[in-house]
Amino acid sequence: AAGLCRAFGALLLSAAPLRARFPVPPLFFPPSGMAGGVLAAVRRGLGGSVPRCTTNPLWKCRVKYTVRPVGMKKTGGRDHTGRIRVRGIGGGHKRRYRMIDFQRLRYEEGAPPEPFTEKVINVRYDPCRSADIALVAGGNRKRWIIATENMQPGDIIKNSSHIGRMAVSANEGDAYPLGALPVGTLICNLESHPGKGAQYIRAAGTCGVLLRKVNGTAIVQLPSKRHMQVLETCVATVGRVSNVNHNKRVIGKAGRNRWLGKRPHTGLWHRKGGWAGRKIKPLPPMKSYVNLPRVTAQE
Amino acid sequence: VFQGVRQAQWLTKTKLVEGLPPSVLSIIDDPAHQLEDYEERVKRVISHARLWDTTEAIPKREHYCPVLFEDLIHLCRLMSVKYPSLTKRMLARNYKIAATWERESILLQVRGLNGILMNSVAPIPPVASKEEILATEEHVLETFYPISPTIDLQEVNVYQELNSTGFRDGYPYSHPHTLFFLESANIRPNRFRPEQLRAKMLMFAFGNALAKAKVLYGNDPKVLEQPIVVQSVGTDGQLFQFMVFQLNTTDLVSGDGIKNLVWIDSDQNLYEKAQCISVVKKRVVMKPAGIYGFQPDTFKKFLALYLHGTV
Repeated sequence: AAGLCRAFGALLLSAAPLRARFPVPPLFFPPSGMAGGVLAAVRRGLGGSVPRCTTNPLWKCRVKYTVRPVGMKKTGGRDHTGRIRVRGIGGGHKRRYRMIDFQRLRYEEGAPPEPFTEKVINVRYDPCRSADIALVAGGNRKRWIIATENMQPGDIIKNSSHIGRMAVSANEGDAYPLGALPVGTLICNLESHPGKGAQYIRAAGTCGVLLRKVNGTAIVQLPSKRHMQVLETCVATVGRVSNVNHNKRVIGKAGRNRWLGKRPHTGLWHRKGGWAGRKIKPLPPMKSYVNLPRVTAQE
Repeated sequence: VFQGVRQAQWLTKTKLVEGLPPSVLSIIDDPAHQLEDYEERVKRVISHARLWDTTEAIPKREHYCPVLFEDLIHLCRLMSVKYPSLTKRMLARNYKIAATWERESILLQVRGLNGILMNSVAPIPPVASKEEILATEEHVLETFYPISPTIDLQEVNVYQELNSTGFRDGYPYSHPHTLFFLESANIRPNRFRPEQLRAKMLMFAFGNALAKAKVLYGNDPKVLEQPIVVQSVGTDGQLFQFMVFQLNTTDLVSGDGIKNLVWIDSDQNLYEKAQCISVVKKRVVMKPAGIYGFQPDTFKKFLALYLHGTV
């Protein structure tokens, strides 16, 4: 990140007011003579219309975690060069981002690494995702997490990293490592590597199923029916994600899609597109995030 | 701030009693303590603050809140015709209070610019009787498991444990009598909600009482034979919160023993609505401009809190 910032700093002088927000301690601005020299060198090389970085769209500069909603900038599907990378994004209602903590087992500073409980204070709609989010408080801090189905304000949820010999009868909303859960529970907010933070099964109404546990790993079926093998110390929350009727809602009019920030599709009919009709494919092979030592036979 | 008054109660080891204490209530009911035609005067005061006092059409809250407060204090001071000892009061603004105390191995402190304080020469006599004080021993402070009671408090590095009332020794009006808090920010998110305002009032009243206790009785934690009483009034121009706080003990490290007491009367409306411009529909005046829903009881309580201690 430091190298990237330096490259950007060399390319644009006009980014000076933005630099104050960067978490990296501000690089001492080179004396004007040298900066002029550097820019002149760069400009000499760029003769044609290569896309240069126009405005840096990264609004994600915040280091410290807050509960307050943070203002965010819409990208409109454009990447850092300024050209469209993803089509069909743009417009829509303004949104403020609430910083969600995907790592359930995050201990407070100065807290021992033991199982701890938290209390749900508030469950609300999040404009940035399809699921609902819940404000939970425990010890001395508050954070936002993705709410599960049937989570009410006033519930107590438990976060634990302990794997016992017997499986725990988990309540909905609790977070346990996969090794501690009984086979066949519905889970969500799954991590691929322990401590990485939940990246799978976060959308509204989704849930994965814990299929079997094989020596140190566990196999989970994702909502796309794909099997995934992870270490059993990865933490997941129990239950389905909130806002279950999300896929049953009716948009009703084109305007509502525009409010969500989706621009219309192209109307051209592509003859060989292959979009229509039933598709029957075999399941893709199981994805394993575990580095097992290769079993060498013979020898 | 998070749980409001309940969190402040745990932090200051206080027991809550609803309503105002009986000594204050007796002042309210006594007809000798009332101004003549005070209702008319109070209505005029509200109209002055909310309707007349500005060059624009509608005065903003930053403007009318302090004006209302000044006029109410002026009305209360008119009573000093009957009770000359009321003149021995002094208002102080923008003074700094500092008080530190330890609560179950967590060091807490109250610092900073306060609201408006009214000092007096003589302290207010204790409001609760001895039996009530002893009865607080059995009361158990509520905990908010799993949330720790210091949530939402700012963490600060303390270099100096400071305890000061904000005044030097030898000041004639040395006893804090009443604290006034005016919530006068223009935008609603900048103002405190009623529960948060009550919690802030409780913490600052406690801070003032504790600083005074440490000045009078020294820094050792112990039970006070002569409890210190501090009153507090908070308002945002329309809703009033009244509070009487009695400090019984400075022994705050443990959670047992004698607790402090607080009487809170919350959400008293002085008036329902102040219409600045009359509502006109189709050339017919529906609601003429003026004050609606005036409640005289709120002013009576205000006056009673003012007179408490000298009557």
